[in-house]
Amino acid sequence: MSNFFSLIYNEIAKIYIQKSTWIMYLLLGVIILGLGILANTYGDLNDGYEADTWRETLQEENEELTNEMEEEPFLQDFNLSSIEMNNYYLENDIQPAGYGAWQFVMENEMLLSIVSLLTIIVAAGIVANEFRWGTIKLLLIRPISREKILASKYGAVLLFSLFTLLFVLLLSWVVGALLFGVEGINPHIVMEKNTGFEYVSVINEIITGYGFQLVTLLMMATFAFMISTVFRNSALAIGTAIFFMMVGNQIVFFFMERSWAKYILFANTDLSLYFNGNTPWIEGMTLGFSITVLLIYYVLFLMLSWIFFTKRDVAGH
Amino acid sequence: MSETAMELIDVKKRIGKKEIIKGLSFTINKGEVFGLIGPNGAGKTTTIRMMVGLMQLSEGDVTILGKSIKSDYIEAVREVGAIVENPEMYPFMTGIQNLNHYARMIPEVSKQRIQEVISLVGLEKAAKEKVGRYSLGMRQRLGIAQALLHNPSVLILDEPTNGLDPAGIREIRMYIRRLAVEKNVAVIISSHLLSEIELICDRIGVIKNGELVAIQQVNEKTDIEKLKQVQMEVTPMNEAMELLQTHHGITAMETDGKLHFQSEKEKIPAMIRTLVEYNISIYQLEIAKSSLEDKFFNLIGENTIE
Repeated sequence: MSNFFSLIYNEIAKIYIQKSTWIMYLLLGVIILGLGILANTYGDLNDGYEADTWRETLQEENEELTNEMEEEPFLQDFNLSSIEMNNYYLENDIQPAGYGAWQFVMENEMLLSIVSLLTIIVAAGIVANEFRWGTIKLLLIRPISREKILASKYGAVLLFSLFTLLFVLLLSWVVGALLFGVEGINPHIVMEKNTGFEYVSVINEIITGYGFQLVTLLMMATFAFMISTVFRNSALAIGTAIFFMMVGNQIVFFFMERSWAKYILFANTDLSLYFNGNTPWIEGMTLGFSITVLLIYYVLFLMLSWIFFTKRDVAGH
Repeated sequence: MSETAMELIDVKKRIGKKEIIKGLSFTINKGEVFGLIGPNGAGKTTTIRMMVGLMQLSEGDVTILGKSIKSDYIEAVREVGAIVENPEMYPFMTGIQNLNHYARMIPEVSKQRIQEVISLVGLEKAAKEKVGRYSLGMRQRLGIAQALLHNPSVLILDEPTNGLDPAGIREIRMYIRRLAVEKNVAVIISSHLLSEIELICDRIGVIKNGELVAIQQVNEKTDIEKLKQVQMEVTPMNEAMELLQTHHGITAMETDGKLHFQSEKEKIPAMIRTLVEYNISIYQLEIAKSSLEDKFFNLIGENTIE
């Protein structure tokens, strides 16, 4: 077993020793910092409310919003919902928390698509590059089964995505803390849900929001890994994986009328539909159904990688 | 006789309908340097790929110290160190990082052993440089270091002197011989250059179109192979031809103003003595080609790929 850990160590070392990996992290860092500075400079963020005057402040805000709405009719929708939210605070007698690090992390949820992108790039290269460099020959003539080498590579991809995710969470929190301060250990805010306004824990929102997106990340990274192993071409793997990640929803939309549409991978990747009360893509789909479809795709991707990697001859280029 | 290190038993490889290796059988003994020679496309690299398990055998088997590469792959390949085609390493890692990487894949390789192989191939200075900046010769050395890390019983080197300078070739040649003699390692070397293989190997197997056409012991030459092609520049030429015929029974031919004939090396001084005695001026004497090379040319024929 220790043997397997050194294999994973090798693969991780090969990822992080390359400059391109660090450039990806640098870009990610710049984006997070940029978002923070942008929000800090242009965002209309409150610094928190005083314990004895927060009711008056909210009332004032509502008046301002109403005035604004009269002058600029196109703001109506947005301002109305802000007013309703403020009213929810007032009615339920909850003092709103100010904007802080946790909320910044929550709003950076969309950065997970960049984490997916980086994971796809790594997954697409991890097998194909060994073939491109020619190092696959020296890698496979060790007293280690091909299954184990493939498993270590897949494990390294998953670890990479975990490290990158942690990097995003941690850096977002630190940037958020520096720019906006920290509003308690577990702040709660009011959010507009399908069923109306709800008073929710920000950390809970972070976990569910990021968690649901991890499904897409895992599926697309495994897909890229499979293409990389079968076709030994990283550009093809990156291209197809990113293409499907971007147009996946349109594909489902396009085939919506067909009876088999619910079996399309992308019809099932957004599991949050089943929890926040939205209607699923196609009638009759349930959480259990989607998880089953996802599992079948997942096993299929891994099986294909496994068969092609272990059975095929390593011949010349 | 010495122990068998590696055995090929009727190894065949088909790709599609085409049979590219048509039943190879031979053994390599411990402490022996075996040369695999043949023109480009003869199947040398394919054979080597099958020996190390990179390609599956269509038929037959390869055993290493009695362990089958088909049914006991991990145990069999544990005894093998190899370079297959070019010694390709991770260009973004240093020499020592590359070696550490491969060392981690085999539990019993110590840090000390890594230093040992580095100094063996003379890469002490370059070990901390990125492999991307290495010359072909340096990569070849690193390739050999990588193959030796785990003290294998069988060392397989595909064109090992490719890209090395003459001094480097000599060094590697001496090192390979020492491995065979002192450590009892079986070494398999492939090349398309006979002159190179002749100098290192004990035995040579000739491959052509996926078939083994001959196995030749290098030191045991037959009588015909002892004959050398001799070229001689002398004046007057006719007189010299007569003298060689009468005193030594040699029929010489005249082409390009030189005498050409075949003779054993040992008889040449006596001929020169005769010629000098009869006042013939000798300007030049040259032994052109060994007959072994001629023989291989006949075996291999034209450099055709079917």
